[in-house]
Amino acid sequence: MFRYIVRRLLIMPILLIGVTMLIFLMLSMLTPYERASLYVADIPKRQGAIEGIIEKYGLDAPIPVQYWNWMVGRKDPDTGEIVGGVLRGDLGWSKVGKGSVATVIGRRLPATAELALWSAIPLIGLSVWMGIQAAVHHNKLPDQVLRVFAIIGWSIPTFVFGLLVLMIFYARLGWFPPERLSNWAMRLVQSGEFTRYTQMNSIDALLNLRFDVFLDSLKHLVLPVVTLSVVSWAFLLRVTRTSMLDTLREDYMTTARAKGLAEAKVIRRHAVPNALIPVITVGGLTLIGLFNGVVITETVFNYPGMGSFLAEAALALDVVSVLGVTLFSSFVLIFGNLIVDVLYGVVDPRIRLE
Amino acid sequence: MKVIKRLLTNPTSLTGIILLAIFIIIAILAPQLAPVPERSRDAYMIPRDGFSSTPAGPSDEHIFGTTEGQYDIYYGVIWGTRTAFRIGVVITLFTTMIGLFVGAISGFYGGWLDEILMRITEIFQAFPFLLAAITLTSVLQTIYGRGEAGPLMFLAKLLALVTFGQSPTAEIDPIQLQILTGMLAIIIFGWMTYARVIRGNILAVKSFDYALAARTIGARDMRILFRHLLPNAVFPVLVIASMNIGSYVLTFAALSFLGLGAQRGYADWGQMISFARNWVPSLADHWYIVVYPGVAIVLFVLAWNLVGDALRDILDPRLTGSRA
Repeated sequence: MFRYIVRRLLIMPILLIGVTMLIFLMLSMLTPYERASLYVADIPKRQGAIEGIIEKYGLDAPIPVQYWNWMVGRKDPDTGEIVGGVLRGDLGWSKVGKGSVATVIGRRLPATAELALWSAIPLIGLSVWMGIQAAVHHNKLPDQVLRVFAIIGWSIPTFVFGLLVLMIFYARLGWFPPERLSNWAMRLVQSGEFTRYTQMNSIDALLNLRFDVFLDSLKHLVLPVVTLSVVSWAFLLRVTRTSMLDTLREDYMTTARAKGLAEAKVIRRHAVPNALIPVITVGGLTLIGLFNGVVITETVFNYPGMGSFLAEAALALDVVSVLGVTLFSSFVLIFGNLIVDVLYGVVDPRIRLE
Repeated sequence: MKVIKRLLTNPTSLTGIILLAIFIIIAILAPQLAPVPERSRDAYMIPRDGFSSTPAGPSDEHIFGTTEGQYDIYYGVIWGTRTAFRIGVVITLFTTMIGLFVGAISGFYGGWLDEILMRITEIFQAFPFLLAAITLTSVLQTIYGRGEAGPLMFLAKLLALVTFGQSPTAEIDPIQLQILTGMLAIIIFGWMTYARVIRGNILAVKSFDYALAARTIGARDMRILFRHLLPNAVFPVLVIASMNIGSYVLTFAALSFLGLGAQRGYADWGQMISFARNWVPSLADHWYIVVYPGVAIVLFVLAWNLVGDALRDILDPRLTGSRA
């Protein structure tokens, strides 16, 4: 068990460094002028000033030197101190966000986290339960219906689904509006009466004991949450179903039944725990994969999170911002994978012993 | 062949195949189904009927309606079929080739080469796919937008040649450039699954007796690789490829929707749906902007998913060990 974790931990730095190198590779394909916004907020228009910036920040130094500067920081020629660097959290200046990339990410992250959090539980709970039901009633009506839903859900682009639900539930019915909060709630939240603990509207509303704001934020979350989850839901359902079907065919299931145990108990105590093993890995990866869905979902619903920031920045060709967000997301993905791997090792003893 | 017969009898895969056949027919008959207007610069740019910015509903002249800027939706859906096939097939072609190459070398030679290649594969896989595609697209667009791009221009020209039949000596058509950057980005981050699968298969098969037998009679490395190992490893790749075509089209549609893939007015389903972004409050009135291209995308991806699913069930491990 220990060795398993250690092995994973040893590979991580290679991955992390590799990711930064790949990001930097993409960064280095830009001209020094385009890269200047890594360091400077406002690119001045005068020709000489740009040259000065390029020289000051070493933007035409050899690539390895630039990589070092970018990662670890560089010596500020004016003060002589070491300043900046990715390792210090300096990801450059965002043209679109009008702030340092790190600041903008920090500002937008809670919205995305809130969306992901509220998506995770229904997503996993529902899809796993449905997958089990489909497998238990293999080839009967519930199974067929769920399979059809799953494969259609797997084929729908997130933005089409999002626009469709917006069309039906917002444009036509007016039940669930886009964005994060209604105007009255927004004013309340930004006023002095409301303390911000987590920057997540729903949680903060609860902590402030304002149930009206809580309900309002939930009302705005319903459509984005459903949209974000639908593709992953379909995938998880299928994986659970397959895994459950395989488990039900195992010998120990026959043994359990031969012992005379009630069917429900047989399924609950023997089939499900074993079937859920691969689901953990896939489920974990799916959660992490919500990063992808979030970009589209937030754009469709005008939801001010990290995903919509990435989309705006990419459209404006603000490469520094885009790379910063991608770097951040990749790091989260790597750590997430590590946690999933360790969890997998905890849950499945066979992995640990290999 | 056994596989084809089973594909045709399975109801799910049959549905998928029929859907695909319909799409192929639409793609081939596009010039007949949606004739290109006379003075059109490029058949793939959707003709505009006026410049009014309000979308118009289905009418006799525009059976699927028009979008903002009066782009005919019917035309876009029909010609978009060709775009979808092109993009899906070309991306799949390149990603499988790269994946096959990396995976085969890695699996066959093993050792430190394997280690390095696998680490590189993992590094590429550490990026969330859509984010990576968006990132690389914006980087590439910045570079190509500048005009000169050096070695990368070669890649773009190669892609242009394969996708559009564009001669490498000509300058790349700006209309196509954005599409090419999107495709390039997806290709560069889309090969890793194939590499891992091929490598796994080759590792498993390397130790089989027939490989040993071939080596005993003095066959050289490449020969063993090509004639014995690769055919067995190829089936899983087929399955993954058929399931992935759908996701490549989806990803490209997402890029177009965000404004990064096909440009405004190009016959691409995702691009047409992006017109709906400005009309969200009145979307119920302008449903046709989303529904028609949307249904096209869903059916297209569904078709590939059904076929891929059925292929996977048919080519289950029972078959992969049985060809020497």
